[in-house]
Amino acid sequence: MLVAACVKYVDLRPQVDRLTGHVTDGGTSGWSAADLAAVETALRLGETWSAPVAVVSAAPESADAALREFRAVGVDRVVRVELGLEAGVELESSDVANVLSDTLRSLDASVVCCGDYSADRGSGSVPAYLAHGLGAAQALGAVEVHTEGPGSLRLVRRLDGGRREQLVVDAPCVISVEGSVAELRRASLGATLAARDAPIDVVPVPGLHGHASPVTRPWSPPARVQPAPAGDAALQRVVELTGALVERTPPRTVELSADDAAELILDQLRAWGYLESSAQESSE
Amino acid sequence: MSSVTDFDAIVVGAGPAGAAAALELARAGRSVCLLERGPFPGSKNMYGGVVYGRILDTLIPAWWEEAPVQRWVTRRSTMIMTGDQAVTVDFRNEAWGAAPYNGATAYRPDFDAWLAAKATDAGAVLVCSTTATGLLREGGRVVGVRTDRPDGDLRASVVIACDGVNSFLAKEAGMYPHTDPSNFTVGVKETIGLPREVIDERFGVRGDHGVDIEIIGCTGDVPGGGFVYTNGESLAVGLVLSLPQLAAGDTRPEELLRRMKTHPAIAPLVEGGEVLEYSAHVIPEAGYEMMPELVGDGILVAGDAAAMCLAAGIWLEGVNFAIGSGAEAGRAAARAIGRGDTSSAGLADYRRRLESTFVLADHHRLRAAPHLVMSPLAQQQLPKLACGVLEDLFTVTNPEPKPGLRRIVRRRMKREGVSTREALKQGLRALRTFG
Repeated sequence: MLVAACVKYVDLRPQVDRLTGHVTDGGTSGWSAADLAAVETALRLGETWSAPVAVVSAAPESADAALREFRAVGVDRVVRVELGLEAGVELESSDVANVLSDTLRSLDASVVCCGDYSADRGSGSVPAYLAHGLGAAQALGAVEVHTEGPGSLRLVRRLDGGRREQLVVDAPCVISVEGSVAELRRASLGATLAARDAPIDVVPVPGLHGHASPVTRPWSPPARVQPAPAGDAALQRVVELTGALVERTPPRTVELSADDAAELILDQLRAWGYLESSAQESSE
Repeated sequence: MSSVTDFDAIVVGAGPAGAAAALELARAGRSVCLLERGPFPGSKNMYGGVVYGRILDTLIPAWWEEAPVQRWVTRRSTMIMTGDQAVTVDFRNEAWGAAPYNGATAYRPDFDAWLAAKATDAGAVLVCSTTATGLLREGGRVVGVRTDRPDGDLRASVVIACDGVNSFLAKEAGMYPHTDPSNFTVGVKETIGLPREVIDERFGVRGDHGVDIEIIGCTGDVPGGGFVYTNGESLAVGLVLSLPQLAAGDTRPEELLRRMKTHPAIAPLVEGGEVLEYSAHVIPEAGYEMMPELVGDGILVAGDAAAMCLAAGIWLEGVNFAIGSGAEAGRAAARAIGRGDTSSAGLADYRRRLESTFVLADHHRLRAAPHLVMSPLAQQQLPKLACGVLEDLFTVTNPEPKPGLRRIVRRRMKREGVSTREALKQGLRALRTFG
């Protein structure tokens, strides 16, 4: 059995041009708190099950120094998947997962730990694609991870309203964790120094074709002229300005099938004017 | 002493002093570990100043072609202000905007990381996120440092403490006999974002040229000074405030900074800007007068840790002194290691070399300047006198005839309570200090 952690090398403090919205590399790349929690979780599972631990990352060569820090904290093997993409070119989450799952399969990884989503506005979908690609069970967005037995995990997930959901998954499985699950242990000084020359396995994956990073353009909501609030007293004017105490449609909770819920949401969006009505759509 | 060492030298702190020391040691073929408590060099720095890079000429030829600079300073202004008046001496030199340049504004996280990379390229081992928590000693001699990592003891023939102002290592080594709060100031700074074009327009510069404005009379009842520096797309606006008097008063530094930003001479410069960052840091203001012992058994002190920050009114410099002292410390350590004598006697030529360079020569010559700049005359009376004299000089009082300059000066001196004798005395003092 091998426990693996998948991490994404991201710019933790990107610089955003306020005029154009262009995002540039701030030169401060590293690992998100969730990814570090995933590595710590993998290390704990590896210790509990006496299993080796590997970290896998699709990252450029510039990530090597940061990857070696995982060797310093006790990761047995670090694999960097070299995508060979030009700067500014990205892969879809599903393509990233395909590449990673090939590597994880070759490592014979039984349990894969990921951060719940990457720090660069990631969708958090890679773990799900990974589970699909590996044909493994998935339990995503965990806030607690406990071992039940060899290869078996009990995870706690966050639900709405402060509720919690408990899931039990058995290997092979992919889990993703929030950053609060665990803090990566501190490497000893000797291990930190020794890890400087630790080997990193590089797996080249040639022939990939990504898409250019989305171009962002400046946008600001158009200003709307609001009439001055009426009322003699300041309180009246504040009430009118804020819309407090005004009659409104109260929120309601409905329990519907997925199709009916989607239809209800669409109807409401039409009612608010965000979507054109069915009659208008059909007439066009 | 145990003969087992992990490195020839340990440099604590990867700021400009530490990076320069590690660079020189590595170039001399010594194994050196550069410890940095932040996640990367420069991550812990707070700085809003000008980097004078001449000292880099010897370390990194043509450094200006690669150093991460925000703007090259081509305008230096000294502003003397009262509540609603300001006198500015403005010097512009276009030659400073071309190689080999004079000074530059820079973001320290960029600059320090760049300089530390030079050291690692030369062979130094950089270990980040690691704090040196104390010294390892054998028989009173420093033989290494203890860090906050598990199994974190690190041994070396020499430790160079570049751990910044209020150096815990230098204190632990007994190199600071006492700490006097009056030797320190607190620097507070806002980084204010503005579009490049707006900065160019407001400060009258183009391209990568920038402005350095030093201000006196902007700190109310607390002795100190202010500054405005232009970065590429932001301003560094801040104050330097006497620590004891700030602590004794009721006004918080951010309030004093707010007041300076609303001054008629400053408000148009910062108007519409977005505060990106607020930070504060202690500064070793007293320079030469507060310097510790620079050399101990197995240990050297450099940079802010050795109070090598020049706060002499018209000269406000720190990074160049840090680089200069760090480089000399690295060279002295390398020589001592080569001789096999890293005792205080073996390291003693560090101080001798510093005395022969600008690092201690400037500090020694200007040792009285910090006190002079912080004196009530410079802080309170001089701004009112200068602004008052110019107000009288430029106010047209027709049909009254124009008063003579001597009459104006005498009248204003009387109003501010400055006697001719006192003015001459202080003038001579200033001449002796800066002359």
